[in-house]
Amino acid sequence: MSRKLCTVLLAGAASLVVATAVAQAAKPLVIGITTELGTIPGKAIANGATLAADQINASGGVDGRQIKLIIEDDHLSTTDAIRSFQRMVKQDHAVAVVGTFVSEVALALEPWAARLHEPYMITGAAANELSEYVHADYKARQYIFHAYLPAADLARAVCDASKQTLVDQFHMTTAVVMSEDAAWTKPLDAGYDKCLPTAGLKVLDNIRFAPNTTDFTPIYQKIEALHPNVIIDGWAHVGVQPTVQWAEQKVPIAMAGINAQAGSSVFWKATNGATEGVITGNTSAPGVAITPKTLPFTDAYQKKFGISPAYSAYSTYDAIYALKDAIERAKSTKPLPVVDQLAKTDMVGTQGQIAFEGPSDKFTHALKYGPKYVTGVAVQWQKGEQKCIWPLNLANAKPAFPSFVKLPAKS
Amino acid sequence: MRTISLRRALPLIIVLVFLAVLPLGANGYILGVLTTAFYFAVFAMSWDLLFGYAGEVNFGPTFLIGLGAYGAGMANALLHAPVPLAILIGAIVAVAGGVALAIPALRLSGPYLGLITLVAVLLLQQAIVIFAGVTGGEIGLSVPDVLSIDSGPNYEYALAFMIISGLVLSIIARSSLGMILQAAGQDKIAAAALGFNATRHKIMAFAISALFSGLAGALLVFYLGTASVSAVVDVSIGVRVIIAAVLGGRRTIIGGAIGAIFLIVAGELLRPIGQLSTFVVALIALIVIVILPDGLLGLLPSRRGA
Amino acid sequence: MLALQILIDGFAISTLYALGALGFTLIFGVSGVLNLAHGGLLVVAAMIAWYVGTSLGYGADWGALAGLGAAIGAALLTYGGVVRPIERSRAIPPRERELFVLTATLLWGVMIQEALAYAFTDSPVTVQPLIGGTIGILGVRTPINELLIAIIAWAVMGCLWLLVNRTKIGKRLLAASINPRALTLLGFELGTIYLTVWLIYGVLAGIAGVLLGSFLGTGSDYIPDLTGSAFTIVVLGGLGSVSGTLMAAYVVGYIETLTAYLISPSLRDVPALFLLIIVLYVRPQGLLGRR
Repeated sequence: MSRKLCTVLLAGAASLVVATAVAQAAKPLVIGITTELGTIPGKAIANGATLAADQINASGGVDGRQIKLIIEDDHLSTTDAIRSFQRMVKQDHAVAVVGTFVSEVALALEPWAARLHEPYMITGAAANELSEYVHADYKARQYIFHAYLPAADLARAVCDASKQTLVDQFHMTTAVVMSEDAAWTKPLDAGYDKCLPTAGLKVLDNIRFAPNTTDFTPIYQKIEALHPNVIIDGWAHVGVQPTVQWAEQKVPIAMAGINAQAGSSVFWKATNGATEGVITGNTSAPGVAITPKTLPFTDAYQKKFGISPAYSAYSTYDAIYALKDAIERAKSTKPLPVVDQLAKTDMVGTQGQIAFEGPSDKFTHALKYGPKYVTGVAVQWQKGEQKCIWPLNLANAKPAFPSFVKLPAKS
Repeated sequence: MRTISLRRALPLIIVLVFLAVLPLGANGYILGVLTTAFYFAVFAMSWDLLFGYAGEVNFGPTFLIGLGAYGAGMANALLHAPVPLAILIGAIVAVAGGVALAIPALRLSGPYLGLITLVAVLLLQQAIVIFAGVTGGEIGLSVPDVLSIDSGPNYEYALAFMIISGLVLSIIARSSLGMILQAAGQDKIAAAALGFNATRHKIMAFAISALFSGLAGALLVFYLGTASVSAVVDVSIGVRVIIAAVLGGRRTIIGGAIGAIFLIVAGELLRPIGQLSTFVVALIALIVIVILPDGLLGLLPSRRGA
Repeated sequence: MLALQILIDGFAISTLYALGALGFTLIFGVSGVLNLAHGGLLVVAAMIAWYVGTSLGYGADWGALAGLGAAIGAALLTYGGVVRPIERSRAIPPRERELFVLTATLLWGVMIQEALAYAFTDSPVTVQPLIGGTIGILGVRTPINELLIAIIAWAVMGCLWLLVNRTKIGKRLLAASINPRALTLLGFELGTIYLTVWLIYGVLAGIAGVLLGSFLGTGSDYIPDLTGSAFTIVVLGGLGSVSGTLMAAYVVGYIETLTAYLISPSLRDVPALFLLIIVLYVRPQGLLGRR
């Protein structure tokens, strides 16, 4: 046997030993994703997590360990979600569970995160109750992070945007709030009622309607009789029908606020273009670089999935990265060290600077809101495209309204 | 009164013994799936008492389940009633609802009654949303107490409850009450001519069905730790209960349990195919119903000609 | 002014309800089938109309045509794949056929819903209206599409009336609804008659689905509500009675509109539910039903 071959064999055997050792150390790190795959925001949660995990794995994983995602569809059912949560914790030994944009499902999972001491990051649901729940008993419930803005902060973003666009640029003075009757819109409406007057918009009325409403004519007629300048909406379950009926009936009032479905890139086709001129709060807008991470993320997402990301894709993607950083800093996957480090998160995300509120804040462990952190953007549909009109330093278009909308005379 | 022959009961007993010792070997996940399935089984068996025996088309099993669940959940969350008392309160509320539902059933039948029961569910759902302050609304109501956070005890509670309910319901169905219900369901006038008070028996049937539905709903709340519309009230849950009962074999009581366990376990096994799992489960159920009208129980040779 | 608003708006929504429930009552009247996959057929029509018309970009007309075709296909599939096997099954006692049809069509509706959600996700879309724009009626701004829907709906209902009352096919349908056995004795093939009525049902569901989809939007999640609403209206009117269905549709439509205008939009469907309970309790056969 030649000496050379001998060396090669030895080296080969050695590398085999090393490789086995590495493989043993690098048992994959399981993260559970609970979501609703039949819906656009739910699918976006799964996509955002997949993209983050793929990127992290390609660049060496978390402390050398590859991430393994377990994505489960809860079909919007709390029973399924709880069962799947328990399974992820007990069977798959997930280090954390991430997901759901449905407040009802998130609220049902929270007690289980507390009981089973499992880090849980909610990445799409908006009800205030989610982070208030953590605040009420911090010690037991510190495992829960609301990695999205609570409804009260969403209202603040709408008010801030309305002040700088509708009031300052168009001299609007009056508004009617029109929200679907759902849990997440109660704090939203309360927030609107408080901050819209400060922003310079007098609230003439606050109309709540059943989420299964099909004919919006009575509501628009009632609003029109009050002659407001703008309708500030709070919609997530509905979106297509009120938008289409607004355009079809040529309701002469501008439309702004939160119209979650209008945040999706397919909304133009879904409404046959009726959404022209509609303004909605959103996490981001196409081509707008909120942080240096935003555009690389949207490009990679578009390339991988062929559609643009919905809001919950941003929050989930950021949550997975925050989790990775926390585990690396904690040098552990045990719940408490990970939670301690998650609470100290301060990183650049795709939505802005990512940090969580502390135990003394009413919205404990919710994303921090503000110009230094996350505010979201206001987008307006213009000729088939979502244009960013706020924050002003990021805007790539001026607001413009369809011809049937009557604007206040410019003084 | 018919007796249940030992020969026919034997396979059942073997299955039950196997289920009872399962926690020794199975992991938490399997136990979790079966726990939900057992509560569903009671839903389906209670429904079968009403439909299979009394011939009442009840599209709203979740009206009774929801009343029990929310009654118990609210008693625990708002009045701080301990769990056993809360479950009792839930059951009482459900029975009251069952009696209320029996009133239209005395006059209506077929699709008309079906619609009324469906409307009852919709009204309950509306009421929960309108009184969100005390019910938690569509976001759901978290209850402070749970039966247990470990899967073992939860499983045993559910199994014991299913066995007791199945036994009681079977005895009732095979008793004179069941016979009279069946007779009245088929021919009201003839039953009345024989001197049976169909009204009283019908109300009894509704009350008993409500009792078990309500108990199961209440227990489910303390298993999940939450009461929410999508878990215990939504019409789609009721649809699953009906499908389970027909799938397993109607007018058998135990068929409901078999159908419910089949549906939930099949859904769980099909989880890897993701979104399409519900589609496939519905397809399987449809095929079974069309080809085997007697349900899965009809496959057992011992039941043929019974 | 407000009264006129309510009058026009209520008329539009009631007409849609009537159109949506028409096929459901027809198919029950003639063949005794309560098709709980009804909403599924409407949404299949609307979804395909949107997909062909908007997503593929062929325009509103081709979209509507494709939607109509899809509904006819779905109706025939419902009959051939679900209802007929049950009706012909020897193992199912005739007394229980009704329940089996109910359960089977319920499952079939779930399958349609899941398949649509898989193919198009469950987020709602709107079918492109055949004509856009608005006109003023005595000062009430009304979308032309709303008027068009009302005209088409009434034309369709008129055609159906003519078909049933003035043609040979219609007479056979009527006969089949009253006494199917006698019809077979006269040598008519019941199968052909049922096939015809399912074909007509497909056309009705197609037209209704596309029109509803252009006014209210559509999506797989709408299926249970659409079935429920048709079921409610048909039972309220009296099962199998076409004129009863029309009447019930207008009663429910106007009550909802009145509630939305005068009380609160968030309570719009509650009074109609109570009305339903009261009517069924006082008059179990519905407004115009035969017993």
